[in-house]
Amino acid sequence: MTTATPALEPSDDARRLECAFRCAALDPALAGVLLFDLEPRLIEPVSRVFAAVLGGPAGPPAARIPLGAATRDEELWCRSRLERRPDGIAFTVGPSPLVDGAAPPPLAVVADLASLSVAGMRAAVQLIGADLVSVEQPGLRIADRPRTRWLALCRSEDAGRVTPHLLDRFAVRLAVPGLRTVPDAGPTDAPLPHDTFATTTDRAVTRVHEILGPGAGPRRSLALARIARALATLGGHREVTAQHCEEAARLIGLRVTEPTPADDRADSEAPGPRLPPLPRPGDIGRRGGRPAKRRRSEEKLPLLASGPAEGVGPAPGATLGMPYPEDEAMALREFMPLRNPWQRRSGPTSTRGAVVGTRRARDLRDLALVRTVREAAVHQRIRGNREFTVAPVDLHSNLRAPAPERLLTLLLDHTCRGDWDWQDALTPFLQWAYTSRAAIHVVEVGGADAADELRAESFAARGVLDPRVLAALYRPKGRATPLAHGIEQAGQVLRQAFRRQGSALAEAWLVVVTDGRGNVPLRASHTGRLHGPVAVQGIEDSLTAAASFAAMDRGRLNVAVVDTARRPYGDLPFALADTLGATVVEGRDSHGG
Amino acid sequence: MSRTSPGAWILPYSCVVGQDDLKLALELNHVAPGIGGVLIAGQRGTAKSTIVRAFALMMHGELPVTLPINATDDRVVGGWQLDALMRGETREQPGLLEEAHDKGLLYVDEVNLLDDHVVNIILDVVSTGVLSVQREGLASAKQLAFGLVGTMNPEEGGLRPQLLDRFGLMVTAADLDTDARHRMIRTVLTFEEERTRGTSEWLAEAERHNGVVRDRLEAARERFPQVEVPDDILRLCAEAAGQLDAVGQRGEIVATQAARALAALDGVLRVQPRHLLQALPLALRHRRPEAAHGGTFDWGRDDHARIKDLFDAG
Repeated sequence: MTTATPALEPSDDARRLECAFRCAALDPALAGVLLFDLEPRLIEPVSRVFAAVLGGPAGPPAARIPLGAATRDEELWCRSRLERRPDGIAFTVGPSPLVDGAAPPPLAVVADLASLSVAGMRAAVQLIGADLVSVEQPGLRIADRPRTRWLALCRSEDAGRVTPHLLDRFAVRLAVPGLRTVPDAGPTDAPLPHDTFATTTDRAVTRVHEILGPGAGPRRSLALARIARALATLGGHREVTAQHCEEAARLIGLRVTEPTPADDRADSEAPGPRLPPLPRPGDIGRRGGRPAKRRRSEEKLPLLASGPAEGVGPAPGATLGMPYPEDEAMALREFMPLRNPWQRRSGPTSTRGAVVGTRRARDLRDLALVRTVREAAVHQRIRGNREFTVAPVDLHSNLRAPAPERLLTLLLDHTCRGDWDWQDALTPFLQWAYTSRAAIHVVEVGGADAADELRAESFAARGVLDPRVLAALYRPKGRATPLAHGIEQAGQVLRQAFRRQGSALAEAWLVVVTDGRGNVPLRASHTGRLHGPVAVQGIEDSLTAAASFAAMDRGRLNVAVVDTARRPYGDLPFALADTLGATVVEGRDSHGG
Repeated sequence: MSRTSPGAWILPYSCVVGQDDLKLALELNHVAPGIGGVLIAGQRGTAKSTIVRAFALMMHGELPVTLPINATDDRVVGGWQLDALMRGETREQPGLLEEAHDKGLLYVDEVNLLDDHVVNIILDVVSTGVLSVQREGLASAKQLAFGLVGTMNPEEGGLRPQLLDRFGLMVTAADLDTDARHRMIRTVLTFEEERTRGTSEWLAEAERHNGVVRDRLEAARERFPQVEVPDDILRLCAEAAGQLDAVGQRGEIVATQAARALAALDGVLRVQPRHLLQALPLALRHRRPEAAHGGTFDWGRDDHARIKDLFDAG
């Protein structure tokens, strides 16, 4: 296969990246570039290349705007400045770089899309690839076509946690786990063509459908067709052909299927848009007879390489990494992730969460000082005071994301599970943790993959939707059961939480799922070595470790033991519950159900 | 500071492929503004926002008054001009609700993502017809009335029943079949390619088509007051609403208005049962008990079967 388009080496991720950036720079509808599995250390050089492409060979690189978990609404839309002038403090409001109309278009850089703040996600949904963005902020009204380009990074396994509503905005997606180096120098190619796009042919659109298959959403189809058009335009071609579509597919890592037998329609034949047929775009330039002369392949303008023409990418059928990993993701997703978090009106943590914005103050707690001064500055002249004064109406307080007020500690004994699906027994506790936005700490004993089978392992997560929690529920069982060590770790977790969070921790649950048959003494867990026969030492140590829970704040700590109903020694969970001061919850019935 | 793009790049209304229900709802709302607005729900990339903007551009030559999810409450209800305040002057700046009153319509993109306090403000105004502002030295109460047009992706959450009920009609964006999808992509790309050319016969032709649609709608709007609703149609509407367990009575009123608008579009001066049958899903789908409590907005064969007998008997 020969190509009349830029020669791409799909194995060369750096070139694919640069080509994708040039497509995004050319067409505002391709403004969102999403990279999967890029090494974190490469974020800076990769974004620098994109900024250089946006700036063009002659101009300065585009400004880069980092966005992340701490991004707030106020900084996204407006840029306010306080200045001291001879007659007092002056205050000006202007558009933020994200919505500023200045050239070159800026580049928003999101280092981890899965942890982008709600404000950042909402802005991305409004801006990326949109025909129009409306901004209605104090002192600022904008209704314009967004020009900002976006570069976001995400791990493939996190794609399922990001709302499809946001993911769908990213038209250009590349999986680049193999990228190791990025060229230091900016692009030196010719400037991007800005006059006209290449004309998309009917056959090209058909090829887009063939490549994507029948289930693809309209945005994906449009994205692939636009990338193909950008490649054709960058290559100096006047028409987009099926070959450009295949090249676009390979660029983003899509499998390129064999085309269906070509129909009789000419490439440039186009049905007019609906209601009575409008003139075909191709007709306009050909009025009066002969069709426009097609550029020959020898006349192509290579985008990335000056070597001999070669096949585009690997053999048909090969893929470079799935550009839509969310389609196969199993991760749980936050409910209504694009809604602003509910602000608690009271409670100990209302002044402890991360600041996500400001609001008019209802009292004098947790004042947002800069916002308050800014509000006061606006009214100084009107008030006619000789000195700078702050009136009650100026007062603003911080709006904070909810901080976890609750904690669920799960102690999972994998050796007691067998073929029992314990998720049903745990569901009420997991639901409680989700609805109350509780933090979660999982302590595991007896997992097959444990780094040390004599020791318990644990991890903390922000909530039950963390993918590690689901994975922990289905861990295969190992041989040893260091239950005593697990109980000891759970105790440490809870004591630390009560000590660190103080009164902010309103409620905590410890849920223990075990048959009580600990077979690793606590000393063995501590030393990492077994000394002689175990006998009942593992069970006795478990009960000893459990006894320490009696000294905790039981007004806020609830403990439950899920009865696994294993025989013999079916009374061990009850003995453990007695020592823990726990209620016993029926898990598996005595018949193993 | 204010910046408005002189020429918004919105696909011409007459070029939008498919989504006939969405277009019909907007057209009915234009012919009969008393309908009170349209809620459009649909998956990603189904041209919801495009259709609303394209319709406003076609009918009014400008974009609709838009309430974005980034709007602050003082922009919604109005306040002082910030730069004037800095100069020591007091100049009021009308809020978006007041602008919507002047132009008759407020468009809320991603309406299900609006903050609750903004939703409360809108609900207060549309239910009482009064915008009362008592803040920052402002003291005013204005009579306001406007239609609400909202777009939303139900994947991102639903609407409170009170707000849902304020939308006169509701439609869901449909998936396109393969042929329509092909035409859609071709049309969108052609539009993007044509607008980069200095002069475009294609765009001029699209504008001519827009003119035809515009004339048809304006004629229907003029005809609308003369369209009669026979008593048996009203009875039929009430029975259908009963069969569907519609919540409240606003649905019947809106369905009747929509049927009248359909008749006006049809060029007849008397509402016929087929008009009502076509209008009922638009007016009642979001007023069924299951929709009000977070259920689906789908209008399936079962729903149709529940009212079909009434119309067959008639």
